[in-house]
Amino acid sequence: MHNDSMRAVRGAAAFESAVLENGLTVRVHPMPGFTGVHAVYGTKFGSIDRAFTADGKRVDLPAGIAHFLEHKMFENEEGDAFTLYAKTGAVANAYTSFDKTCYIFSATNRVDENLDILLGFVSRPYFTAATVEKEQGIIGQEIKQYDDSPDWRLMFAVNQCLYHTHPVRDDIAGSVESIAKITPEILYACTDAFYRPQNMVLAVAGNVTMDDVLAACARADLPVRTGTVERAPCQEPLTVAEAHREFTMAVAKPVLGVGFKEQPPQGDALRAEIVCDIITELICGSMTPLYRLLYDEGLVSPGFSGEVLSLPGALSFLFGGETAEPERVRGLLLDEIARLQREGADAELFTLCKNQLYGELVQDLENVEDVASTLASSFFRGRTPADEIETLASVTLDEVNAALQTMLCTDRSATVIIRPAE
Amino acid sequence: MEQITVSPGAQITVLPAEKFNRCRISINFIWPAAREWATAEALLPLVLERGYGDCPDMTELSKKLARLYGAALAVDGTMSGQSRVLTVTVSGIKDKFALAGEALSREYADIAFGVAFRPYLVDGVLDAEAVEIEREQLREMLESEINEKRGYCIRQARRKFYGDSPAGIERNGYLDEVDGLTARAVTDAYHRMLRLARIEVTVLGADVEAIRSCLSAALEGISRTPCALPAPIAMPAVEARLFEEPLPTVQGKLCLLFTSGTPCVPEELSALRVAVAALGGTPTSRLFQNVREKQSLCYYCGSSYLSLTGMLCVDSGVEHDKAAKTRDAILHELNEMCTGEITPKELDDTKRMLKNQLAAVGDTLQGLEGWYFAESMRGSKKTPEEVAAEIDAVTQEDVRRVLSRFTLSVCYTLTKEAGADA
Repeated sequence: MHNDSMRAVRGAAAFESAVLENGLTVRVHPMPGFTGVHAVYGTKFGSIDRAFTADGKRVDLPAGIAHFLEHKMFENEEGDAFTLYAKTGAVANAYTSFDKTCYIFSATNRVDENLDILLGFVSRPYFTAATVEKEQGIIGQEIKQYDDSPDWRLMFAVNQCLYHTHPVRDDIAGSVESIAKITPEILYACTDAFYRPQNMVLAVAGNVTMDDVLAACARADLPVRTGTVERAPCQEPLTVAEAHREFTMAVAKPVLGVGFKEQPPQGDALRAEIVCDIITELICGSMTPLYRLLYDEGLVSPGFSGEVLSLPGALSFLFGGETAEPERVRGLLLDEIARLQREGADAELFTLCKNQLYGELVQDLENVEDVASTLASSFFRGRTPADEIETLASVTLDEVNAALQTMLCTDRSATVIIRPAE
Repeated sequence: MEQITVSPGAQITVLPAEKFNRCRISINFIWPAAREWATAEALLPLVLERGYGDCPDMTELSKKLARLYGAALAVDGTMSGQSRVLTVTVSGIKDKFALAGEALSREYADIAFGVAFRPYLVDGVLDAEAVEIEREQLREMLESEINEKRGYCIRQARRKFYGDSPAGIERNGYLDEVDGLTARAVTDAYHRMLRLARIEVTVLGADVEAIRSCLSAALEGISRTPCALPAPIAMPAVEARLFEEPLPTVQGKLCLLFTSGTPCVPEELSALRVAVAALGGTPTSRLFQNVREKQSLCYYCGSSYLSLTGMLCVDSGVEHDKAAKTRDAILHELNEMCTGEITPKELDDTKRMLKNQLAAVGDTLQGLEGWYFAESMRGSKKTPEEVAAEIDAVTQEDVRRVLSRFTLSVCYTLTKEAGADA
């Protein structure tokens, strides 16, 4: 690596880190020249966390509870967080994914006050039967909105086909029926278990210093929670639950999804994820012969692509997009995978894929929002942005070819086709 | 910001970008939209993005971009008021991150100007095979617009709102004209664009002198008569029309379009920004607080405004049987703001939120570029700081005055039940 580029990359990926006495991890990246600050206060609690044991007692959770909590954490006895953020001018939001829930704000001034609001609301939950009931209506609408999205429906249909019991089968927001089971008591049990500082990260980037953030943490006086919490493990065989599924909805053309179930990585998950990302690009990225064939013959739209889902207890590939001829596209995809398994990946394409991924990692370290988000998400995976760049640099073509020999087996795949409703 | 005029109707805008990891070059062609050219002009970006004279093959172009660490090339066609805009953008990591010390930004300029000014021609015409392939992609794009229900509802409402006005010319052209498109027609559209368009090049973090040379060289030998761009308009006030379209969806969509009746004048733009944000642009706005939070009528309900066509848009995701009630609630909130009290707190909260967003404009490449491009389309060069000062001066009376001008023109609903024009 060129010395100058090494210095530049190290500078972009650098951050300050501290672990507070209460267990909270704080990551800060001061970014000179930027006006704004972006903060992410996140917990390692997402939609796949559906059962846990607290001090020896098992608690089972309805689907969608992490997302439901996300909505409710903006309220306390005195009102809602948005009213307080309005006094500072900050833009606040939150999101829930399969494995985490994050609360965020972006601001260009009064950072101390904004940090106080963020830490204050998320650390001190307040739920009543009335506020829970009101939220059930709002979230019910959100679920219905996603029910009309072909991409969303496709992803969960493929997950349901690939997995027998893993909670990745369920919509992140749950269902109208599952969220109807949520009560203030269950919500408090979840915050006690997962909104404890030891399970959380505060990542901040932009016009801010570590001292500013540590001072806010001290003011927040975050409650320390004792006792042990353990996530209940999920027993999931390597076979697929359903090899083929079709349904209809309001789409113009059929939508195809082909999923492959893989053995979750036992050791270096980061390395396995990067290898999978490269494999995805080598199969149907814009530089590949398969993509060119599908595109030139008008078999797929430009959105046809592959992605990797890596979570505790689950690793899978999903290839898909719109196509008038789903069966033919599936056949061509399987043929290309078989060819790569037989002949090995092209060395030039492999190098170009690595180059491309390197550029994406540098891009993720460019603006305050991306940097704070990257710091938080890498914490949840037990790594740093620099780890990602170094691991990418060390991945070899031999590793990728070896992985191709054990992954993407047709008998561990599932096909979903959404057909246009009459 | 620095502006350099290279020739009549062709200028370069240089924006500060030292703090970013990437650089970005955009070449914008802007010219008055014409109905008879719409579909050929919609196909043009798709054909240009495939390759150019020095690199005609799309797979080779993808590899070239990957070699530049995943540089991104995008050619987009949009409508802005009554003008059509074609934008060629290349962005990629700065030279300092290049692993072998390559001069990346020069390559970015070469690709951007190659795509914009040196397309791949066969016997003086755009490659017929490429045109044929991309014609099918355009057809697919047009046929698939129902897949994303929220955008589809807004587009359908806009079709009713603009009628035959040039402002309503379809960005993606017209499905019934796709079959008739030939390579010659698209080539003619390209040459017409070169002749008539105002050319705005935006440079962020790349070598300005190199860009100036590229632009001068590109314009040599082109006979240009750049057109004056159409002034802002407003559709005349009409009696409100209600439309219902049956579609098998889980959630209904509602879109209300209002006209100001008279074109927006620059002096009122800041008051409009505050008014539209206070109505439905923030989490403390009337629509969010009253229609979503208090009445639980919908999952989302927001407002936006297009200054070049004087159009106010409110759109919402609703349960099918609540659409009419939501529409009445939205009209009630608008009327309340025109006739009732707007509290100082409400006004201050909205202003703070807007000023926070303005202060952050310079924190992203896209934010900076988007801001100055929008200003230039309005014939203005105001900085975010200048607009922030104007926003401070907006009064309750200003908000009431600008909102009172809007009258409902179109209410479009995607519903489960069959409906008819009312």
